[in-house]
Amino acid sequence: MKIYTPEGQLGEPQTSLAPSPTVLAGKRIGILDNTKPNAGLLLARLASRLADRTMAELTITEKKNAALAAPDQVIGNLTKEVEIVLTGSAD
Amino acid sequence: MNFDNYRMLDLTTDDPMALTATFASHGWGDGLPLVAPTPDRVETMLSYLGDVDPEEVIATLPPRSGEATRRMIAVNAVLAGCAPQHLPVLISAVRALSAPELNLRGVNATTHCVAPLLIIHGKYASDAGYNGGLGAFGPGNHANASTGRALRLILLHIGGAVPGGGDASTQGGPAKYTYCVAENLDESPWGSYATTKGVDSGSAVTVHCGEAPHNVHDMESSDPAAILDKVASAMCSWGQNNAPISQGEYFITLCPEHAFTCASQGWSRDDIASYLYNKATVNVGEAKQAFALRAWAPWQHALGDADRIAMTEKPDNIKILVVGGPGKHSSIIPSWGMTKSVTVPIMP
Repeated sequence: MKIYTPEGQLGEPQTSLAPSPTVLAGKRIGILDNTKPNAGLLLARLASRLADRTMAELTITEKKNAALAAPDQVIGNLTKEVEIVLTGSAD
Repeated sequence: MNFDNYRMLDLTTDDPMALTATFASHGWGDGLPLVAPTPDRVETMLSYLGDVDPEEVIATLPPRSGEATRRMIAVNAVLAGCAPQHLPVLISAVRALSAPELNLRGVNATTHCVAPLLIIHGKYASDAGYNGGLGAFGPGNHANASTGRALRLILLHIGGAVPGGGDASTQGGPAKYTYCVAENLDESPWGSYATTKGVDSGSAVTVHCGEAPHNVHDMESSDPAAILDKVASAMCSWGQNNAPISQGEYFITLCPEHAFTCASQGWSRDDIASYLYNKATVNVGEAKQAFALRAWAPWQHALGDADRIAMTEKPDNIKILVVGGPGKHSSIIPSWGMTKSVTVPIMP
């Protein structure tokens, strides 16, 4: 007996990740903190350790609402100011 | 039929438990027995729609970015045990889910227990067998149970809202199995809720992404204000997402007897919403103490600690409709918060 699988085809994802840089030394790293209670803590620690190892320069940016996409202005500023962004942490 | 464009499975048995186990081995299903989506069953489902393109993409559902075509919606409708007349409701609900203001990505991904509630309005609800009367939230009605279940399967399979993957809900929730009712228009004193949303259609579906219903019990009051004070009390619980999020909606599903008590004394939907907006308030200082992070409207931040703040920023966020049968129990259904309900006509 043949049956359909239930998932269907994939469409175009709304966004895709930029290629990762091969060398981190001297890069500018942005932290996009979604303001969840532990996100900033975790991301800041990660970034700090990366900075220690690579001499990267850090920029911390907050978005005001964890449940909504970052506003265009925030993304625009990050695009201008940094080359790598750490984000995506939940609670 | 040519199946080249679809992934198909070969089953050696039509045993529902074997199908469920096979699906589970692929990470599919909701844990309950499934109906095999054979090509014949899916074609029967699609033939109910008439002359429409089964391959049209109705919406691309996050976080998986899966394409919800009419055919794939029908596949999941078969899996859930739907009848063909339930398919137009599901297709319409998927359209509603894709509205940007509903924020489906957030709804699917959050740690909160939110589930999309389907509310069916108008003639289609009665014609297709949906229950808005006694026991409407379940159990026992085929249309309500299977349509709500099918929408969950669509979110699991096409949208990728799988617990631990695309769905981070801390505890999950029973409303994530199925969550579908009809508006009880026969016993509503106010007409269809859909018309208040500007949907000029005899039949419509609303999708509200919220918590499971919270009970409001009032056996004795003959005064609308006394009933609604209890509704307001239920709206003021600190544990709801609506507490720190001012844009959150409330759906107030009044039972027919509570609705009659209000309407017989001249209260309209707007009157009820205005009253609840003014009565469902908390102390600002206590709110600040309870929540360091508050998604409030700008004007709300200007309130002093001794002031009171409404649980939602405007009366229009309080939605009134009639659900249920005899008895004096109503419900409030708080929102997840960062989402707006959407009402659309039922169209194939």
